[in-house]
Amino acid sequence: MACDVGSIPELDQKKYDSDEQVKIICLGDSAVGKSKLMERFLMDEYRPQQLSTYALTLYKHTATVGNKTVAIDFWDTAGQERFQSMHPSYYHKAHACIMVFDVQRKITYKNLASWYKELREYRPEIPCCVVANKIDADLKVTQRSFSFGKKQGLPFYFVSAADGTNVVKMFREMIKRALDYKQNPSDFMDEVMQELENFDLEKKENNSDEDGLKAQSPELV
Amino acid sequence: MSFEAKRCGVQFTPPSIVLIYEHKETKHVRKRIIPVRNFSKYSDYSMAAERLKNHPRHRDYLEGVSQSQLEKLHIILRNHMQGFSLEHSMASFRLDPDEDLNKLDDDELARKKGQMDELFEKNRKRKDDPDFVYDLEMDFTKTAQENCSWDDESDDGF
Ligand SMILES: Nc1nc2c(ncn2[C@@H]2O[C@H](COP(=O)(O)OP(=O)(O)OP(=O)(O)O)[C@@H](O)[C@H]2O)c(=O)[nH]1
Ligand SMILES: [Mg+2]
Repeated sequence: MACDVGSIPELDQKKYDSDEQVKIICLGDSAVGKSKLMERFLMDEYRPQQLSTYALTLYKHTATVGNKTVAIDFWDTAGQERFQSMHPSYYHKAHACIMVFDVQRKITYKNLASWYKELREYRPEIPCCVVANKIDADLKVTQRSFSFGKKQGLPFYFVSAADGTNVVKMFREMIKRALDYKQNPSDFMDEVMQELENFDLEKKENNSDEDGLKAQSPELV
Repeated sequence: MSFEAKRCGVQFTPPSIVLIYEHKETKHVRKRIIPVRNFSKYSDYSMAAERLKNHPRHRDYLEGVSQSQLEKLHIILRNHMQGFSLEHSMASFRLDPDEDLNKLDDDELARKKGQMDELFEKNRKRKDDPDFVYDLEMDFTKTAQENCSWDDESDDGF
């Protein structure tokens, strides 16, 4: 299951190709507050759909941007290592990414580098931001500068899921950027994938009337 | 009748919760040993803690002991039954800022989150709080920025 792109049988990811369907993913270490941030943004609206086998939670949200109504799926997964193999399908067709760390735990900031690296392997161009959560625990951290992501021009937010500081602002701006990206996508990954899939099919069809041996190892011929 | 819990702890054999409490009227300080029954290394510690907290014979004494405290004591007992040392149990309750929580199992992670919840709940603004603002914004870009010690020179790639 791990490597098959888009292959979560319970979920049809084709819908994210339509104009009104947006997919935003959330990345970061265990216990940085990814789920609490979603819950704070969605408040009562929050009706998550849980797929525990993949430690995946989907939060559905409807937003009006300009005069358009869009359906946004926020994808939230666990930071735990044992779930990290589901990621190819997690990234698939995502339109934006929210990367979170915990201002009380340096290691979660350091690990942003590997989360970001993985994200860019699958989605080289989608909008992404860096979120410093739990500032309520120690407001002094907001006087510090965190340079991760500066070079890549990633927006940075100081937030608190507990008292709500900047949570709504951050989500609204990311929804906006996800929509902008959707209108002007620069990631060709999905298209290329699709072509590859078609290519595979054609090859199989071509081979089907040749003899078995040849079909199994065409590259040796 | 009212009792004030002073301290609590565990006793491994037989598995029991030990409570030091003061009798409010007489000011006498007493020790109460509460045996923990039907509890094995496979048991659910939070259910066991809840059962004890509501136990008709003990609940008056345990009023001042929080559910999470009772859970901790049950975890220590259960860890002992599983062959873990007391030090191991105590360490699992501490929040170490350098520990990589991605490597923990579900149970251990839930415990760490339980500890984080104390501060979270304390600082939490709820919808029914009079000063609740849904879209609370604060601009930190104007505050003087010093360099963060979390960025060391070797990381200059980011
Ligand atoms: N003080 C404070 N604590 C927070 C805040 N946000 C989350 N927490 C605490 O951090 C704990 C973990 O938050 P979660 O939202 O479960 O973290 P997560 O990133 O979803 O973790 P995984 O799903 O395991 O990867 C919570 O139980 C809270 O106690 C915050 O803004 N302030
Ligand atoms: Mg979570």
